[in-house]
Amino acid sequence: VLVKESYQAALERSGRGSALTTPRIKILEQAIELYSQNKEYAFHAKMADEAAKLLKAQQELEISTRQDVFVDSSVSDSIRTCIAMGNHKAAQKLRVDFKVPDKRFYWLKIKALAHARDWDALDKF
Amino acid sequence: MAQLPNLDNASINLGAYRDHARKELVDALDSMRGKKVLVLDPKLSGPLALIVQIALLKEHGVENLYHLTPEPIHTDCKNVMYLVRPRPGLMKLIAGHVRHDNREKLQRQYAVYFMPRKTIACEKVLEDAGIFADVTLGEFPLDLLPFDEDVLSLELDAAYKELLVDGDRSCLYDVAKALWRLQAVFGTIPNVKGKGRAASHVADLMARMRREQPLPQIPPEIDTMVLIDRQVDMITPMCSQLTYEGLLDEFIHISNGSVEVDPTVMGQAANPKKIKIPLNSTDKLYRELRDLNFGVVGNILRQKATAMREDYKDLPQNQSVSQLKDFVKRLNILPEMTRHTNLAQHLTTFTTNPAFLSRLNIEQSMLEVRPEAPSEYIEEMIDKQEPLPSVLRLLCLLSLTCGGLPRKQFDFLRREILQSYGFEYTFTLNNLEKAGLLRRQDGRNTYPAVRRALKLVVEGQDDSNPTDISYTFSGYAPLSIRLIQQALQDRWKSMDELLRSLPGPHFEKTQALDADGTPVEHEAQSISVDRPDGQRSLVLVVFLGGVTSAEISALRFLSGQENSKHEFLAATTKLVTGTSLLQTLIDDDWRLRNNK
Repeated sequence: VLVKESYQAALERSGRGSALTTPRIKILEQAIELYSQNKEYAFHAKMADEAAKLLKAQQELEISTRQDVFVDSSVSDSIRTCIAMGNHKAAQKLRVDFKVPDKRFYWLKIKALAHARDWDALDKF
Repeated sequence: MAQLPNLDNASINLGAYRDHARKELVDALDSMRGKKVLVLDPKLSGPLALIVQIALLKEHGVENLYHLTPEPIHTDCKNVMYLVRPRPGLMKLIAGHVRHDNREKLQRQYAVYFMPRKTIACEKVLEDAGIFADVTLGEFPLDLLPFDEDVLSLELDAAYKELLVDGDRSCLYDVAKALWRLQAVFGTIPNVKGKGRAASHVADLMARMRREQPLPQIPPEIDTMVLIDRQVDMITPMCSQLTYEGLLDEFIHISNGSVEVDPTVMGQAANPKKIKIPLNSTDKLYRELRDLNFGVVGNILRQKATAMREDYKDLPQNQSVSQLKDFVKRLNILPEMTRHTNLAQHLTTFTTNPAFLSRLNIEQSMLEVRPEAPSEYIEEMIDKQEPLPSVLRLLCLLSLTCGGLPRKQFDFLRREILQSYGFEYTFTLNNLEKAGLLRRQDGRNTYPAVRRALKLVVEGQDDSNPTDISYTFSGYAPLSIRLIQQALQDRWKSMDELLRSLPGPHFEKTQALDADGTPVEHEAQSISVDRPDGQRSLVLVVFLGGVTSAEISALRFLSGQENSKHEFLAATTKLVTGTSLLQTLIDDDWRLRNNK
């Protein structure tokens, strides 16, 4: 199991180095399969799944916003970026897709709005 | 270059030890004739500064100093000497240099010196690169570096991670070798005690080395050696240190015995170049202040200032440190006073921060295992995306004191971390789990029993007039030091059960010679460390995997007690803080690569 895990680590890492997202998602899918063979790694399998989902979502966001600022950032970072850009719909979608707890979402929103100096929205919020 | 620490007051002759190291370096330099350039592993320049000053290098033909980087060396010099840690990655850089020079048809001589020893893995890299014939290899056996008159360190950055995550025990070989060399100079240490897996491994290696290469027979200057595996006590490094030196290390990072601060902190004009301030016991005031709880440092500085001037009458009582700073400046007294009032004032900007105070509260409630929602506090830190090491430090403390986290909470917090900081930190979390710092609850929690038996939490301690080592963390006595206290009272046998509940085996041995003069170890009988001539016995404490400065302060406090029978020397693989220790486990190699 340990060997498999370190193999995973190597695989994922080599995948992350490349800028192309599609091969990275493929590698993550392989990882999910390997992780789910062992019950102990249920958590890891789920996380690899979320990582793949996030990459896809980020890819789409980069296409729709025409800004390559999403890939290689975390879920929280992506939500913040969306809010700061005023793209509240996309932020809301990420929030639902990744089951972000309310508390974290509100912190992110406050931070992002303050950063964007969108005082009106902050006031309403 | 910073001044070298003064070692004249050391209880064993560390000055001679340092001179010896210096001579070895000079021999290495002289082995290459003529003018040369010295290319240093960047990790080594700090430690070397504790041994030699640049002038001495110049005397021995060093024209120029470079740090080892992928960039080729531009110099007219025909001789290039590398001084490096034995890491394969560095070999590749050297190979790159040599190949570059060959392409450019530069005729040069190369020597590579390894500190403290060369390894087969490194030789292999050089061979594979096809440059093995071009370089001369040598060893520079410098291991324990004297940081102060009572502190020695091997400065092996990643020892803790190598031991607990990678399962690589080669650093313990270096430790054993270093201790062998130390004993060759200061005599065979008769009593050896230890706790933890790494400790027993070092003891075994040491026994073997002693048989293979008998130590010279000289009267021992050190009576007892206590080996402590960091794994035995991970709680202490996760807590915030509250001594003056500890706080300096936590907030402005002491590196190789000095700190670097903005000139503005020292009351000088703003300048992007930082000022380097050496911190060791050569500075008499620092010697007095370093081990104190920071809460009383301001007071002491105030008392000093008052005593120094007779016209103290116009000094109003109860002033803040910042008012005091002006006062001191006005009086234009000793530079040490100015230095430490400045540093202390700078520290108060951190220590009076409400976030720091509430963190201390949370730590305290974890140590007392009060069920006061510390996990919500951690959750909020994650939500606010506070620096990851600081979050993980608190999380590990929670896991360590609770005997792991309940499954649901464990998964929830891990997921929150991965979503907030990025999925690549899966590897970081794996490392923490492997090291046992973070785990799922499995029913057994030994911490409460250990805390009670060793009186780890002490209430009602007066920090300005402490009677117990718990002053170093304002109410928490470091577990590691409590174990040492017990070991020296000859009570390890009587607390067998308690020791069993901490990770790794424990042992007490005597290093002796049998009738034929062959080195042997036998089970310690009654160990009497009292010296007949009424002198205090000298104890060497070896922390395997790192030690914090607050723990060293606690040892100094014990030496300083009036009825103390012992004097302490501390040796370690690395001087650490909880944050720097965790940083070695936060594996962000790939991130660094991407940025390049």
